[in-house]
Amino acid sequence: MTQSDGDLSGIRVLDLAAEPGFFAGKVLGDLGADVVKVEPPEGDRARRRGPFWGGVVDAERSLLWLALNTSKRGMTLALDRPRGRELFLALAERADVVLETEAPGSLAARGLGWETLHARNRRAILCSITPFGQTGPRAAWRGSDLTVVATSGNLYATGDPDRAPVRCSLPVSYYHGGLEAAVGVLFALLARDQSGEGQHVDVSLQAAMVMPSIGTAAMFRMTGQRGSRVGAFMHAGRTIQREIWPCRDGFVSFALRGGPARVPGLIAMVAYMDEHGMASARLKAIDWKSYNHNLLTQEDVDFLTREFGAFFATKTTAELYRAACERSLMLAPVNTPREITGSPQLAARGFFVDVENPGRGTLRYPGAFAVTHGARVAIRRPAPRLGEHTAEVLHAHGLAAADVERLRAEGVV
Amino acid sequence: MTPLFEGMRILEFGGGAAGPIATRYFADHGATVIRVESRRRPDFLRILRLTPTTPGGVDGSAHFAVLNPNKLSIALDLSRPEGVALARRLAIAADAVAENFAPGAMARWGLDYESLVRERPDLVMISTCLNGQTGPDRAYPGFGGQGSALAGFNHLTGWPDREPVGPFGTITDSLSPRFAALLLAAALLHRRRTGAGQHIDLAQVEAGIVCLSESLLTYTANGEILTRMGNRSRHAVPHGVFRCADEDGRDRWAAIAVHDDEDWRRLAGALGRPAWTLEPVLATVDGRRRHEDEIEARLTEWTATRTAADVAAHLQAAGLDAAPVEDFGDLHDDPQLAHRRHFRTVEHDVLGTHPVETHAIRFSAMEPRIERPAPRLGADTDVVLRELLGIEAAELDRLRAAGVLE
Repeated sequence: MTQSDGDLSGIRVLDLAAEPGFFAGKVLGDLGADVVKVEPPEGDRARRRGPFWGGVVDAERSLLWLALNTSKRGMTLALDRPRGRELFLALAERADVVLETEAPGSLAARGLGWETLHARNRRAILCSITPFGQTGPRAAWRGSDLTVVATSGNLYATGDPDRAPVRCSLPVSYYHGGLEAAVGVLFALLARDQSGEGQHVDVSLQAAMVMPSIGTAAMFRMTGQRGSRVGAFMHAGRTIQREIWPCRDGFVSFALRGGPARVPGLIAMVAYMDEHGMASARLKAIDWKSYNHNLLTQEDVDFLTREFGAFFATKTTAELYRAACERSLMLAPVNTPREITGSPQLAARGFFVDVENPGRGTLRYPGAFAVTHGARVAIRRPAPRLGEHTAEVLHAHGLAAADVERLRAEGVV
Repeated sequence: MTPLFEGMRILEFGGGAAGPIATRYFADHGATVIRVESRRRPDFLRILRLTPTTPGGVDGSAHFAVLNPNKLSIALDLSRPEGVALARRLAIAADAVAENFAPGAMARWGLDYESLVRERPDLVMISTCLNGQTGPDRAYPGFGGQGSALAGFNHLTGWPDREPVGPFGTITDSLSPRFAALLLAAALLHRRRTGAGQHIDLAQVEAGIVCLSESLLTYTANGEILTRMGNRSRHAVPHGVFRCADEDGRDRWAAIAVHDDEDWRRLAGALGRPAWTLEPVLATVDGRRRHEDEIEARLTEWTATRTAADVAAHLQAAGLDAAPVEDFGDLHDDPQLAHRRHFRTVEHDVLGTHPVETHAIRFSAMEPRIERPAPRLGADTDVVLRELLGIEAAELDRLRAAGVLE
C-alpha cells in the first residue's frame, strides 16, 4: 500500500457516521486525511450485517464494513456516558472535522451539538448527513436509501411500467450523499482559511438524489414531464428507444439517441454487422448525415431495434465489448464484478489493490477513485478492527496507559 | 459576505453532464467558470434534442440551461492556431482547468496538462472520461449509459426475474461530477498550502466501481455476485414500494422500510394490529423473509385505499421509515426541498423564467447563489477576452472576421 501524502494530509476527522456516512469518511481518508472512526463499545451496526467474508459471522468480517471503512483508524467511545462525551469533546478540540449521521438534534441533546462544538473549537467543521436535512418540515422524518430515493423523483422514473418503481439494490444515495458531504467539508476547509472559523455543513440525502436525474427535475417546468417507467428503454424524441439489449450471454448498453455524437457509433455498428452479413439493405441505405433521433418515428425505431437486436443475440457481451473498443461502437456490457475484476483496462491501470487485513488475510479491493501524480489518492489502511486504535489515539491525546486501562474498565472505551 | 471563490477562474472544456455539473459547485460559490465552446461542434446537451424547429437553436436547450447557469461562454475555433493560442492563454491565467473530452483531444491542441504546465508550473487540471487517460481502452467512446453498465450499476437495478434497467439518469454522469468537485477542491487546498499543482485523471467507470466496493468485495472475498432484487433488502423485511390510491389519474406509491423487529411491532400498531401482523413467525426478520410475498400483498391491501401522503404521514407518526414516491413534478411542491430552497429561478433569453437546482449542501455561514442563467453560445467571448487577456476591440473584430471567434 502506498504511503504517499494526500491532499488532505494533516486534516483530522472524527467520524461518528453510521452506514449513510461511511463513504464520506472513506473518500476523505483516501485523500490523506487522518480519519478516526468512533464506534460505540459494542461496535457499529454494520459489523453485524452480512454478507461476511468466508461466511463466518464475525464483527471483523462484515464485507460492508470492510469495503467502506478503509483509510480510517478506529476507536471505541461510549457517548452515552458523561466521561465518554467529555473525552469526545476533548478530542474534538484538536479535530478539523466531525462527521456524523444521527437524527437532527440527537447530538445536541447529548451536549455534543454544533453550538457546543463551535464553542470548544472555533475552527472545527461539523458535517451532518441526514435523510432530509437539519431543519424543515420533514427534518424529523426517518429515512433511508429507499425513502430518500423515493422523494427525489429518481425512483418513480426507474423500473418497468407494469411494476412498482424500483431502486438500485445497493444504496446509491449514500454514495451520492457521502460525496456531497466530502465536497461540503472541503469547501468549509477552504472557507476556514479565510474566516478562521469552521461551519456546520448540512447535507440532505433527498436533495443529493435530485441531481442524479441530470436536470430532469428542473426541466419539468419547461417539459411538463413527470417521468415514467419504461424499463430497459428511454424516452427520446417522440419515441421510446431501447437502452439495454439482450445478447447471447447477457446484456449490453447501446442507444439510438445521443445526438450527432452517437452517429459515428451507429455507422460503425452497421459496418460491423455487414461484415457478418447481418445488415439488411434497408439498414445500409440509411443516410446517417441526416439522422436525428428526435425525428424518428416509432416505426423507424422498431425497425432499428429489430436489426440491432437480432445481431446482438448472436454475440456474447465479451465479443461485443471487444469490438466496441476496437471500432468505437459506443456499446458496453452490463458488467458484474466477474467482468469488472477481469478487465484488462483496469488491470493496465493498476486499479485493483490487495489489502492485507491483519489476522484474516488479503482481500482484493477497487483502489483509487482517481489517478494523480504520486498516487495521492489511495487506500491507506484496511478498515479498522473494533477499538484497534483506541489506545493509540488516547495516548497521542496525552492519556497514560493507566488512564486508558481505567476507561476500559469503566466501559467508556 | 464575499463568496468563497470570488476572483477564482475555472476554464472548462467539454460538455454533456459529467464535466459541467462539477464546476457548478464552484460557480455557485462565486467562481467565474468560463466554458470554451465551439459553434461548429456544440456541446452535446445543446444539440441532444435539437430539431430544425427548436426555438433559439443551440441557445434553446432546456437541458443545457438547467445544468449550466452561473457560467460564461466563449466560442473559439480550436481548429485554428490562433483559437488554440487564445485558449492556451486563458488556461494559463486560470486557477483551474477542467476538461471531459475523449483522451488525446486536449493533447492534439497542445492544451493538455504536459503542455500547459511548462508555462504554469502550479496548474491544477482535471481530465475526466469513461475509462481514464491511460490503458488499452482509454480511447473507448461512450456515454453515461455505457459508464453505468461498465461500472456495474445496471446489473444491480431492476427485478430479479427481468432484464436490468436504469437507474434513471445514467448514474456515472452524476457520481463523477461529485468526485471531480471533491478532487478539484482538495487540489486547490493542497496548492494553497504547498504551492504545488497537479493533474487529476478521473475515470468515471473506476469511480463508480469504488462506490460499489461492497459488491466488488462480496465477489473477491466470497465469489458471490450480488444481483438486483427489486426493492427488497438483504437486511430488512418488509422493504418495498406499495401502490396507493391513484390521484389525478396518476399511479401513486409509498416506500416503506421496516429495518428491525421493533419497527415491525410499530408497523403492526400503525395498522391497528390486525390478526395477520400478530403471527409469531413474523416477529423476527427471518420469519418475515419466509413470508415476504404475503406481507407485501397484505400491506398493499392497506395502502391501496389510501393516498401516498397519508400512508407516509401515518407511518412516520408511528416512528417508521416511510415516504411518498414523488415524481419530477411533485418535487416542485415538496415542502422539504422548498424549505432548503433547492430550486432557484433564473430568467433565460429563450426559455423565459425557469428553475435550476442547487447542490445538496447547506452551510451555516455560506449560501449557494445563482446569479445568471446558462449562457448563450459565445455570449461572453468579447468581455472575457478583453478583461482577462486585455485584447482590444479592433483585434477582437479581426479575430472574428478571421473566423477564430465563432
